[in-house]
Amino acid sequence: MLKFIAKRLGSAIGVLFAASLLLYILVINSGDPLKDLRESNADNREYLMAQRIDYMELDQPWYLRYWDWLTGVSKCFVGQCDLGRNINGVEVSGLLANAAASTLRLVLIATVIAAILGIAIGVLTAVRQYSGLDYLVTFLTFLFFSLPVFWAAVLLKEYLAIGFNDWIASPDISVGTSILIGIVLGLIMQMFLGGSLKRRALTFVAVAIFVPLVLQYSLWLNFYRFPQMGPAIVVVLTLLVALSGTAMTAGLKEKRVLYPALITVVLVLAAYYATFYLMSEPNTWILLGGLILAVAIPALVGRLMGGRLRKNAASVAMVTGFVGAALTVIDHIFRAWPGFLDNKGRPISTIGSSTANFEGGYWDHFLDNATQLLLPTILLAIISLASYSRYTRSSMLEVQQQDYIRTARSKGLSERTVIFRHAFRNAMIPIATIAAFDFAGLIGGAVITERVFGWKGMGEMFATGLDHVDANPVMAFFLVTGTAAIIFNLLADIVYAMLDPRIRV
Amino acid sequence: MRFQRVSKAVVVGAAMALALSACAPGGSGTDPKASESGNTSGNGSAELTNSGLADLGDITTKDDTIAVSVGAPEFISYNGFTPNTYSTYNSAITDRMFAGFTYTGTDGALYPNEDLGSYEKISDDPLTVKYTINENAKWSDGTPITVADSVLAWGVQNLNLNEGSKEKPLFNSVSVDLGDTVPKGPQGDIAGKEFTVEFSAPDPDWALQSWLLHPAHVVAKEAGMSTEELANAILAGESDKLKKAAKFWNEGWNTNPGTLPKEEIMPVSGPYKLGSWKAGESVTIVANENYYGTPAATKQLNFRFVEDAAMVQALQNKDIDVIGPQPTVDTLAQLEALGDQVAIQQGDTLTWEHLDFNFRGKNAFKNLELRKAFAMCVPRQNIVDNLVKPLNPEAVVMNAREVFPFQDNYEDVVSASYDGRYDQVDLEGAKKILEAEDAVGTKVRIGYSAPNERRTNEVAAIKSSCDEAGFKVEDAGDPKFFAPGGTQERGDYDVALFAWAGSGQISSGQNIYATGKPQNYGQYSNKEVDAEWKTLASSLDPAVHQEQIKKIEKLLWDDLYGIPVFAHPGLSASGSDIQNVRHTATQNGIVWNAEQWVRAE
Repeated sequence: MLKFIAKRLGSAIGVLFAASLLLYILVINSGDPLKDLRESNADNREYLMAQRIDYMELDQPWYLRYWDWLTGVSKCFVGQCDLGRNINGVEVSGLLANAAASTLRLVLIATVIAAILGIAIGVLTAVRQYSGLDYLVTFLTFLFFSLPVFWAAVLLKEYLAIGFNDWIASPDISVGTSILIGIVLGLIMQMFLGGSLKRRALTFVAVAIFVPLVLQYSLWLNFYRFPQMGPAIVVVLTLLVALSGTAMTAGLKEKRVLYPALITVVLVLAAYYATFYLMSEPNTWILLGGLILAVAIPALVGRLMGGRLRKNAASVAMVTGFVGAALTVIDHIFRAWPGFLDNKGRPISTIGSSTANFEGGYWDHFLDNATQLLLPTILLAIISLASYSRYTRSSMLEVQQQDYIRTARSKGLSERTVIFRHAFRNAMIPIATIAAFDFAGLIGGAVITERVFGWKGMGEMFATGLDHVDANPVMAFFLVTGTAAIIFNLLADIVYAMLDPRIRV
Repeated sequence: MRFQRVSKAVVVGAAMALALSACAPGGSGTDPKASESGNTSGNGSAELTNSGLADLGDITTKDDTIAVSVGAPEFISYNGFTPNTYSTYNSAITDRMFAGFTYTGTDGALYPNEDLGSYEKISDDPLTVKYTINENAKWSDGTPITVADSVLAWGVQNLNLNEGSKEKPLFNSVSVDLGDTVPKGPQGDIAGKEFTVEFSAPDPDWALQSWLLHPAHVVAKEAGMSTEELANAILAGESDKLKKAAKFWNEGWNTNPGTLPKEEIMPVSGPYKLGSWKAGESVTIVANENYYGTPAATKQLNFRFVEDAAMVQALQNKDIDVIGPQPTVDTLAQLEALGDQVAIQQGDTLTWEHLDFNFRGKNAFKNLELRKAFAMCVPRQNIVDNLVKPLNPEAVVMNAREVFPFQDNYEDVVSASYDGRYDQVDLEGAKKILEAEDAVGTKVRIGYSAPNERRTNEVAAIKSSCDEAGFKVEDAGDPKFFAPGGTQERGDYDVALFAWAGSGQISSGQNIYATGKPQNYGQYSNKEVDAEWKTLASSLDPAVHQEQIKKIEKLLWDDLYGIPVFAHPGLSASGSDIQNVRHTATQNGIVWNAEQWVRAE
């Protein structure tokens, strides 16, 4: 294995080197770096041109310029990277750090969401092949996949930003609209839950009646400007999770699972009050620490009390603790929301990653970042959702045809076990490759998304550099994306070998 | 089935939760609807008397933020006066931070900035100007603005301070000629407030020179010398002593995106100072509380770096209050669709489109008669109506080169130089000339820097008209038109279609129309024109300038150097609650009077 990795790394460096040389030559010949000056009628045009030629070393032959760049980069091996400066005299390393940070923030969440949702949808549609749900989801994913990013961004801004902001100023949903929403949700829900015709009809009717009532009730509560939850609802919902978790794993009569779950509910309530002031103004570390404790303590309780069923008990308690903690956080976000709205009357912006000079507490900043991130994340996620769901679906379908699945079924294993233990795991093997490529591509940024939402990420740095025929930023972009592509491909190969015991290297 | 049980439990639980929370609606019970700020006076509450800054009366800085975007490029540096950092986008921000003795009005006219001080010409021969800095004028850190600052401004524009030769100047500055045009530099008490400058030759554009740029006391401190030592070294031309100062001036203010230089090294002389910088997104400038002149109307200006395509929706969503996009018909249509939420500023700019003939080699247009025939068939009115009016309904065909239709002296200059003979397309006339010259079928390659949709359409319009007259027009648009070795340099074109940006200088046209000058791309040569330019450039009398411009325009019309077509349209827009946003024709763009913007109550 080690020999394999070393061999791959060695060839990777060779590839990177050759590609960098090729790219460098292509970039410096891609246009005229003096273009903006040529059409200028400043009296000192000649002087400005001379200065730029001198600064960018345009009078040097390509191999000398490349050598300069290469020696700067090779200093990276001793920890003193010199990526040069861009056309404006700004250090490229600084630019790169900013660009990479903003791209990661922009694309990471979207990619993770797209991967998780896409795989889930893929499995679901494969299990229910040729059902109404399958057709609907297939239609939607293809629709999203073929959306021009730019146009979709404009639509999202129009409805989710401008439309929502106008609406939130004085939230109103007419009775007719609520009924319509109820009917649409009812249709979707019956499709998702499936079952016999009677069950579908029941689901539809229940949702179609329930949803409009909830909508009108929430309006009466002024929920959208003053959302409220409070400890009572946190506890009730956590209790529900505890009970249904127990029911699903061991049955409600199984005290060894039920008690740890109930104890966790009590702990959630205690923690809610104990941390109330701390959580009103927390920081990210407190939140992370809290989350770890919220999962670790119930897990411990479950292990200690679960006896023979400690595995089940621990997982039910963990889920309960996690949900309780999440609900507590949501409760605090709800409390912060009215103040946030006062501070930022139009919460969803169409541009930027956060409001400049925004003042407020931790939750205000949290909400500010979240609302700014919302639109680009939705956009990127729905677009890459398609590839994940389609690949997963076809991979699942293929696996389900295999002999070992039939064997598993004939052994009498439950459908859930067959799908998740036997089919899903094997179906994930090709997905690993796609995910690796996707993550490698991720760092390259999303040029159009960055542009329309006003983020200066990697894609923007590349495009601007190329536009100015400015080799340094383009090469820095290449260095990062090229390295990422090679590393992730290597990782994919390794993961492959781990997932699939048939592959030996 | 388990699933059913669970879903039942969820429904019951949700109902319980709703029941439990049925305490009372949230909020204080008042209607949260935001009160719409009705603004009947629209943009620009102040009376306008001229093209300069309006008098807003007594101003107290309002504690508010106005967000503006003029384009996507990132802020570069506090020092936007080096070739690397100089850009219109950077200047949009730095121009708010530095005062000058003059500023440019909306039509390109020069106005004195009385906040900083005053100037007067005290002698014509040699040209000598006396500058007086106001007694209370000071940098934002409290240090008075003195002659030393003007000496630094002169020093950075002085090629004689160099490392051995003029090719290697000490100060890497965009403007470099003051060392030769004003050989002795500012004369006066270095710590005082008055100085005179003596030009070696008459310069009609003397008032445009910058005599205040960056704080000398900061540069001196960073170079480890006193302000006086620095100023004296500059005046004495002691390049060796200035190396450290020059290095700081060249690089000391340049930082990584998102990091501002230390507060103490970036004092400002204008109404705003740098407040914060969010890399890739925005720079906020804050009102300078030590400003000695009319205070800024709004405390914070947030310059956002936004693509044109995202601007209109950002304006609609009130993420940005003022936008200055590239003018396109689509952008205008989007803005108009917003109705009275926004105010749209339209108008001409100081950039003008023209068709220039090629006088090199054996080109057909060396023949004046053919130039006339071509001028007769170019459908200028048609081009303006179809391609410019959609953006600027007031647009007219431009009939001059040195003055613009929106300037006061335009009518005067045009009536003296041009009799309107090419106003109407005269195909018959053109045909007759072509036949008389035996030149029917003359090939006309119209070159321009492609891709440029508007120019492609212009050429198409010219082709459909001039082909009827007997020319054979070819669209020779090429991405490399202006590139080294490109069509323009090789001379493989008959007519060049491009635009010059008016600089506000009186004598800059000499570079374009006089024999052998660098911007005389078509290698036009006319001794009379050369002589008239010489007269203009050596005179300091505005009346003479005016007369010379008329003469030159007439010569250029009679001899047809080229054909002016139109002034480029400009477009910007602001939220209807922002007051005092005014269109300007100059390259300063919509932010030219940003210190006057204020949100209506």
